[in-house]
Amino acid sequence: MNEQDVKHNKELPKGRSLWGDGLRRLRKHKLAMVSLGIIAVYLLLTGFIYIAELFDCQFELIKWDAKVGSEYEPPGAENVFGTDFLGRSVLRKTLYGAKVSITVAFWASVISLVIGVPLGAIAGYFRGVIDEIIVWLYTTLSSIPYILLILAFALVLKGKTINLEWAGLGTIELAGITTVYLAIGLTSWVGICRLIRGEVVKHKERDYILAAKSYGCSNSRIIFKHLIPNVFHLVIISFSLRFVSFIQAEVILSFLGLGEKNRPSWGAMIDAARLDLPKGYWWEMTAATAAIFFISLALNIFGDALRDALDPKLRVQ
Amino acid sequence: MDDDGILLSVKNLSTHFFTEDGIAKAVQDVSFSIKKSKTFALVGESGCGKSVTALSIMRLVPEPPGKIVAGKIIFEGRDLSVLSEKQMRSVRGNKIAMIFQEPMTSLNPVYTVGNQIVEAIKLHQKKSTSQAWADAVGMLRKVGIADPERRINEYPHQLSGGMRQRVMLAMAVSCEPALLIADEPTTALDVTIQAQILDLLDELQKQNGMSILLITHDLGIVAERADSVAVMYASRIVEVADSQSLFAEPLHPYTQGLLKSLPRLGFSGRRLQTISGNVPEPLRFPAGCKFHPRCPVGCNDKRCQTVEPKLRNVKGGRYVACWYAKEYEEK
Repeated sequence: MNEQDVKHNKELPKGRSLWGDGLRRLRKHKLAMVSLGIIAVYLLLTGFIYIAELFDCQFELIKWDAKVGSEYEPPGAENVFGTDFLGRSVLRKTLYGAKVSITVAFWASVISLVIGVPLGAIAGYFRGVIDEIIVWLYTTLSSIPYILLILAFALVLKGKTINLEWAGLGTIELAGITTVYLAIGLTSWVGICRLIRGEVVKHKERDYILAAKSYGCSNSRIIFKHLIPNVFHLVIISFSLRFVSFIQAEVILSFLGLGEKNRPSWGAMIDAARLDLPKGYWWEMTAATAAIFFISLALNIFGDALRDALDPKLRVQ
Repeated sequence: MDDDGILLSVKNLSTHFFTEDGIAKAVQDVSFSIKKSKTFALVGESGCGKSVTALSIMRLVPEPPGKIVAGKIIFEGRDLSVLSEKQMRSVRGNKIAMIFQEPMTSLNPVYTVGNQIVEAIKLHQKKSTSQAWADAVGMLRKVGIADPERRINEYPHQLSGGMRQRVMLAMAVSCEPALLIADEPTTALDVTIQAQILDLLDELQKQNGMSILLITHDLGIVAERADSVAVMYASRIVEVADSQSLFAEPLHPYTQGLLKSLPRLGFSGRRLQTISGNVPEPLRFPAGCKFHPRCPVGCNDKRCQTVEPKLRNVKGGRYVACWYAKEYEEK
C-alpha cells in the first residue's frame, strides 16, 4: 500500500517548492547566472551612489561634475572613456547615469505593476460590467501612441506638486525623474493588466478556486491569496522585461528634453552626444549606449531564463 | 413531526443557465431531503444535473450564466437560497463542506498542504496559528496520511491522487461540518484507492455524525454505501427510495434499464443490456416525460409524450416520476 511504502522508505527526496525548483533550475543556466551578475553590478552601483550621496561621502568616482582634463579628450590611460565638452569624465557620468536610469525603471515598474496586476485580476475574476470598464480603460489608453501619451503625461505632471501633508509626508515636487517615472508608470500598466486578466480568466475556472470558495473564502481572499500567487511568475518575468523598456523610455524622454536636467542620465548623455558625433567625438555616445546595451541584454536573457524555470508546463515532475 | 432528524431538505429547486443558445434547464423541480448522519446518494449520467444540484446547495453556481430560479434549500431550519453572500460564506466549509471529483486539481498548487488546511480552519474557528497547525497535523493523521508532520509541508504535486483526496477530505472535515457533499469523490481514482477513500468517508461519518450527499454515477458505490438514493435523469429526479428497495425493485423504467446494464456475477458470456438512444441535450429536452423517447414502456404513449409526470408517492417511502408507476405497483 501507498502509505506503507512511504513509511518504510527513509530516502524520499526532500520536499521542493515551485520557487525552490525554479531557482534550482535557474542556477544550472550559466548565461542566466552571468546576466544576474551583471544586473547585480548595476543595482549595487545604484545603491552605492544613493548611500554615498546620503552620507555625503567624497568618492572620486561619483564626482561626475569635476573637471578632470581638457575638453573632448579621447579615451586613454588617464580617462578610460575620454571627457566631454566641459572636460568631465565620461566614465563617471556613465556610472552616475545608472542611478537615474535604474531609479526611473524601478519605480516605473513598481507603479505599473501596482496598478496593472490588481486591475487585471479584478477584471478577469469578476468579468461582467467591471471587466468591461477596465478593458475599455486600457484599450483606450493603448490606442493612443505610446510616446505621445508619455509626453502628454510628463508635460502635464511637470512642475506640479503632490500634497501628502495629510499623510505626514510633506509635498513632493514633480520635477526631473519623478515626473519621468510617474509618466512611464501611469501609462504602461496596460500590458501587464491584459496579461494578468487573461491568465486569471483561465485560472478562475480551475477546481482549486471552486474548492477555495467551497470552504468559505471571500472574493478578495480568492483574488489576492489564491489567484495572484498562481500568476505571480508572470509578474516577475514581466518586471524583468519591462525594466529594459523603461530604461529605454527614460532615454527617449531625456532625449526629448523632459527628463533629468541637472544630473547626467544615459538619455541625457546621448542627447548631448548627438551633436558631438558628427565632429568625431564618439566616446560619450558609445559609453552611454554600452551601459544600456549590457543591462538590456542581461535583463532579457535573465527574464527568458526565469520564465523557462518557473513555467509549470516546462517543469519535469 | 416528520421533519425530525432531517438535516437538509431541498424543495422544488430549479437552476437554469442562461446561455446565448437559450436557457439550459440544468436542474428542474428537484426535491429531496437528507437525514442526519445518513448517506444520501444522487445518481445519474454525466450532465443530468447532479453536480449543479450540489453547487446550488452551496450557492456556488457560476452566476451569470447560472441562476437558481426557484426552490428552497432548508438547512438546519434556515433557507440557504435567501442568505446573503456573507452569511453563506460562514456556512460554506463550516456547516457544509464539499469535496470534488478531481483531487489532482482541487488543491492550490502554490501552497503547501498545511497552509491550505490551516486556512480552512482559521476561516471559521478562532484559533491561534500554532493551534491550527497542530489541528491540521491531527486531521492529516485522521484521514490516514502517514508521517503527517512531514507531509504537511509538502506541495500538492508531491502527493498521489489518493493522498490528495485524503487532504481534501481533511480540509473538508476540519471544521466538523454537518453535511459533506462529495461530488464524485472516487471517479478519478484507482479502484483500490476508491475503496479506501469510501471506507474513510464511512469512518469520518461515524466519528463526526455528519450527513453525506454522495454524488456518483457508480451504482456499485450506491448499493454499498448509501442509505437512500435519488436517481436523476435529464434535470429531474425520477425516483427516490432507500437503496435496498431500489436495487431490489426499481420502479422507473430508467432505473430498471440502468440496473440491467450492470454486469453481474455468473452472467458471463451474455451481452449486457443497454438503454437505447442518448441522453437529451439540456437545450433540447423532449416534451412530456424526458425519458419517453428511450423508454421501453411508454415510448408510444400519448400521455408520456406530452405531459411530464410529477414525482409522487407510490409506496411507503418510495417516490417515482412515471405515468406507469401505478401499474408497477399493482404487479
